[in-house]
Amino acid sequence: MDFGFFEDLLEEKGADKVEVIGEGYRNIWVVAETMAGKLLPATLEAMGQARELADQIGVYVYGVLLRGEGEELGQELVSYGADRVLVVSDPALADYQPEVCVRALADLVGRYRPEIVLMPATALGNDLAPRLAQHLNTGLISHCVKLEMDMSERLLLGTFSVLDGEVYHTVACPEARPQMATLQPGYFRLPYADSYRSGSVQGIDVDLADVTGRLGWGNLSVAVELPPLPLSKARVLVSAGRGMGDASGFALVTRLAEALGGTVAGSRGAFDEGWITEDQIVGIGGQLVAPDLYIACGISGDVYHYFGLQNAKFVVAINRDPEAPIMKVANMAVVGEARQVLPAMLKALGH
Amino acid sequence: MRIIVPIKQILDPQGISVRRDKERIFINREEYILDPASKAAIEAALRLTAEAACPVRRHGVLRKEASGAEVIALCMGRPQADDALREALAMGCDSAYLLSDKAFEDADISVTARILAAAIAKLGGADLIVAGRQSGDTGAGQMGPRLAEALDYAQVTDVYAMAVPDGALQATRGWGDGFAAVEARLPIVASVAPQAFPPRYPHGARIMSAYREWTVTVWTASDLDLDEAALSPSLSFRGESFPPPLEVGEVFRGDPADVAQDVVTALKMRKLIA
Repeated sequence: MDFGFFEDLLEEKGADKVEVIGEGYRNIWVVAETMAGKLLPATLEAMGQARELADQIGVYVYGVLLRGEGEELGQELVSYGADRVLVVSDPALADYQPEVCVRALADLVGRYRPEIVLMPATALGNDLAPRLAQHLNTGLISHCVKLEMDMSERLLLGTFSVLDGEVYHTVACPEARPQMATLQPGYFRLPYADSYRSGSVQGIDVDLADVTGRLGWGNLSVAVELPPLPLSKARVLVSAGRGMGDASGFALVTRLAEALGGTVAGSRGAFDEGWITEDQIVGIGGQLVAPDLYIACGISGDVYHYFGLQNAKFVVAINRDPEAPIMKVANMAVVGEARQVLPAMLKALGH
Repeated sequence: MRIIVPIKQILDPQGISVRRDKERIFINREEYILDPASKAAIEAALRLTAEAACPVRRHGVLRKEASGAEVIALCMGRPQADDALREALAMGCDSAYLLSDKAFEDADISVTARILAAAIAKLGGADLIVAGRQSGDTGAGQMGPRLAEALDYAQVTDVYAMAVPDGALQATRGWGDGFAAVEARLPIVASVAPQAFPPRYPHGARIMSAYREWTVTVWTASDLDLDEAALSPSLSFRGESFPPPLEVGEVFRGDPADVAQDVVTALKMRKLIA
């Protein structure tokens, strides 16, 4: 596709008019990230969001593939909503090097002048996007859970969570261009692929001769042993009570905690049974915890226990007695024998 | 080796409660603390210096006089950030600089990066800059890479372990779903994951000295040679909102297998589990 008309359009506007904020900046870009030759779901989510925003303000969506992935991935991006895909192939971009990627993207941004640049907030996006924003001297709204257009000002509004997700802040980047945002994976709808969509995929050369990457990549799968998290800082807690019956019941709790990447805790009853150590007790005389998710298995939850978890953000109680005190304060009360529900949950989680 | 640690002072989250139903934030106790992520960064820096050469034990803490390595804490903030810097000194930093000026009040993260970069340049640069990955309040997670760009240093983010054998940083960083080993020559900016560096408690004697003897140097905008353009923020705040209040008492009953499936789906929808 020939986009020459586009450049003419821009020139016509520029010359003798008053300078308008964002003048000449058009279109929404998604910088795509791939893993083992496939597009990441987070990239597709960003693409879907870009398509929605672009339809609101009537502009094109561009996909940018930085590592020469070629025609097929380009077509895939088109099927998910891109109108045009720029593919940069350069040996310097084979490994991820922040400086080299920044140079390549800054060069493209200078040439094509996108209005909005989106990236997924993955390890790579979190590394690259801030550096690019500083290079382009613009603002970056990171870890967005919601994006919308302020149509009256034609501004991107990014919403992200602060204070551990208790409050959302919304910010905009009124003057500097491009407007940049990273999208928290899992918060945006995954778009449907439409293989009949048409768009152009184009290779593009970027001069990277005078910039060298400084990182040397070694082993890509290192095992890391993290210091154990104190109970008070754990994000997910799976807690056992006497209702688990015996040690084999308690083993289910341990397995669920592993499956959820959480930590095992328990009531004083579980301590009396000898399943947990003293510093794993939640409640008065034990630990005060504030996890995002607390799963109480076979705990009746008298006030001595409940006191320890009143700062928990979300409580799931599994108990056979619907009248147990914890069932009244839990966000989700599961009526059932914990020894039967836990194996089913493990199965539902794919373990 | 010279290590600079940019730190941040935040409002103590323990003193804040958020009422989702009232859509308000209540500040019960206005107290400012050293950001936990900054503490982890200081800890990571101090561990490197203790390992860099034969440690000398003084005040009951490993010291690094013999290595010639120094750790400098740097904080941009209001005058009360002095406290955070004294805590950094107490933990084991060698010197502390506070960048405070009326002109810095409006700073967003890009401006803060420029201010810190100007201060680091004035200090004569660094071999290694250790920052926290993401602060405990706004948590944008941008400072490391932005500083690296402003200073034209290499960068590595989300670091879980690191060492500096002769002039190069070897680090283990979060990458994809796992961890990867990376290496780069100094100078470099490393931003560290707080959970990997649980901070030490400062020794009592050092706390006393930090408040009684040692000084925190204060620099203002005129010390840093920054023009007005460098101090104009690019982001503007457009309001806050609250997630819907959590419902209490959703009851699931029935066949364990179905119930378990429903619970897992409901938790996934709320993004409580992956």
